[in-house]
Amino acid sequence: MSNHTAVASETSRVFHFILEELKPRGPWLTPFNVISIPIILTGLVILYFRFRYGLGAVTNLSQGHPWGLWMGFDVVTGVALAGGAYVITFAVYVMRVDKYQSIVRATVLNGFLAYCFYGGALLFDLGRPWHAMNPYIGNNFGYASVLFLICWHFALYMVAAFVEFSPVIAEWLNLEKARRFLKNITLATVILGVTLSLLHQSGLGALFLMAEPKIHPLWWSQFTPVLFFVSSIYAGLSMIIFEGTISHKAFSHLIAPKNHHAFDDIVFGLAKGAAITMFVYYVFKALLFIHEKQWDLINTVWGYWYLVEVIGFVLIPAFMFAFGHRHRSLNIIKTAAIMALLGIVLNRLNVSIIAYGWYEAVRYYPSWQEIIVTLMVICAEIWLFRWVVNRMPVFSASH
Amino acid sequence: MDSFTYVNIFETKGLEYLLLLSFWALFVYLVRYLSKPPKGRPDSR
Amino acid sequence: MDRRNFLKTTLAAGGGALVSNDVRALELRHPEEFVGILVDTTRCIGCRSCEVACAETHDMFVPDVLSDGALAQPRKTSERQYTIVNRFDTEKGEVFVKRQCMHCHQAACASACPTEAMNKTLKGPVIWDGDKCIGCRFCMVSCPFDVPKFEYNEWNPKLVKCTMCFERQAEGKKPACVEACPTDALMFGIQVDNLEIARHRIYAHPDKYVHQIYGEHEAGGTGWLYLSAVPFDQLGFRTDLGRTPYPEYTREFLYAVPAILFGVPAFLLALNALADKGEPAEHSELGFHPDEGGQQR
Repeated sequence: MSNHTAVASETSRVFHFILEELKPRGPWLTPFNVISIPIILTGLVILYFRFRYGLGAVTNLSQGHPWGLWMGFDVVTGVALAGGAYVITFAVYVMRVDKYQSIVRATVLNGFLAYCFYGGALLFDLGRPWHAMNPYIGNNFGYASVLFLICWHFALYMVAAFVEFSPVIAEWLNLEKARRFLKNITLATVILGVTLSLLHQSGLGALFLMAEPKIHPLWWSQFTPVLFFVSSIYAGLSMIIFEGTISHKAFSHLIAPKNHHAFDDIVFGLAKGAAITMFVYYVFKALLFIHEKQWDLINTVWGYWYLVEVIGFVLIPAFMFAFGHRHRSLNIIKTAAIMALLGIVLNRLNVSIIAYGWYEAVRYYPSWQEIIVTLMVICAEIWLFRWVVNRMPVFSASH
Repeated sequence: MDSFTYVNIFETKGLEYLLLLSFWALFVYLVRYLSKPPKGRPDSR
Repeated sequence: MDRRNFLKTTLAAGGGALVSNDVRALELRHPEEFVGILVDTTRCIGCRSCEVACAETHDMFVPDVLSDGALAQPRKTSERQYTIVNRFDTEKGEVFVKRQCMHCHQAACASACPTEAMNKTLKGPVIWDGDKCIGCRFCMVSCPFDVPKFEYNEWNPKLVKCTMCFERQAEGKKPACVEACPTDALMFGIQVDNLEIARHRIYAHPDKYVHQIYGEHEAGGTGWLYLSAVPFDQLGFRTDLGRTPYPEYTREFLYAVPAILFGVPAFLLALNALADKGEPAEHSELGFHPDEGGQQR
């Protein structure tokens, strides 16, 4: 058989295999489907109105509040929560901590899909999305812009995360040569991915640097980029604990008992990392609080809200992680992970929405349409995640 | 017109160094706490 | 002396008197200086001719200034109006203030824009280019004066803000609002000249004006300068914006980017080498290796 025909037959095999795999599997009437299908359909209808009549038709955005839930939650918060991928690939490939090998695939897949969907949700929020390629094709390059940087980093990171995940796809399609090649460039893409993550996690904080007069002083700082980066580490760790726990229940048939047990050990390791990062983050917050002499602001409604975030959802979960690690309590650790995640959501929303324009009489709150579209994005991501893990060797090598 | 008054932007440095010292004290304690062998058995989830 | 400069000098010397009231004459005297507009709020009578002239020039909503009662409440510029006039009751009676884009010397919106759709032109006006804009509204988030406005109810929205009549200036005309002003409350000219005139008015009438020119230092200096008889915080101006040009806030971060992009990968590679436990180089990609029969470790 000539080389040419070999490639042709291989291509046709892969094509037919993919067609076969595209068919849905399993029962349709699962609780998740019953909830998510109406949400996705409603979201699509809302998006029709959004593109037909403009952002004002479905959102509560205003001239004083140009960024709402889609930017503040989908993009700014979603990307922070996807930080687990760069933290874990750093640990496994750069630091060679083999302990976390068994969760790398699922975490990288999660990170990649999160960037696709939450970064993709930016397209709904852009007023002129048909120009979305402008920062890439040079019409024009806004070198002075933080957002320009984030645009590029999102795109490059998505490529890096895809390459990191691609050996799994090659394995799924039985493409041994491609798998070997992709495996060889994993370390390079991981290093690129970690560097890009460092920059765009902090870059999302840098977006708000020029909004200095609009953000309540308790949430504006010139160190916001550093704070965003540090908190993205424990956001990612908490997300792995949270998402891993759910995955191990929902997809337990895909996971070997051995890995079920190994996961508990992984959770303890992640909890230790999260406890230390959160403590450092908390002290950083305290340092800024002292340096900016903000004690006068504490005895106000905004001050109490700040304390809820920093004590209630940073310091307390940090101690819970430490306590849970010490006393080998998975339940305490999982509760701490959920609280830490809420703390991240709270922090990102405070910076981008709640404490933004805090002096204004008319406050922004998301419309139900904005909430449905956000839920739609989350549901669509879970759908694709489920599709992939049911087919590709994400949790185990057996198909 | 602008007025000229004395402003010390490093007024809080002393407090910041105090915070730093207490951070190190607590951090050493935290790391030691986390590296001790675990207490009790893993709960059965 | 090259030909171009020679022509310029001759024109400036010979033709200066001829076109003295023309914008081109200003350009010839200061070829590289920003233009700007000086607003003397003590001269403004609140006739809103500027609002009408602006709307007509840019083909926008023309307010009915005689009967719409818009002066009752302070307004903001909107996606329908580049400029508005507000009335304030102050310790020195009623004061009228025209507001619009300030055309900052170092514009936050222009540095925020990922596609340079917001552009600080060399002559000073900040203008918007719809072919480049992606509609991210980062300019609105960054602008300390909350100027750019977005058409939320259009499928193809524009970012709307005063252009300082950039097109008219190119034709050698003054901005429409300046031309329409019946009381010389608005004065168009070279920024440095405007600043001198403003200072001169304050020194010549020290009791009439507060001794501050709003826009001289605010946000690093703006193309529009304001004189007032009452403190500016009574006229709806933010006085807490500081003197720092807003792009400076992102300067350290953007400085760090190239440093991080070449430094961190090298650092990570070094860490990776240090973490080598001396085992065989065979490292499975992403978790599992198919040869191991499925289970990792």
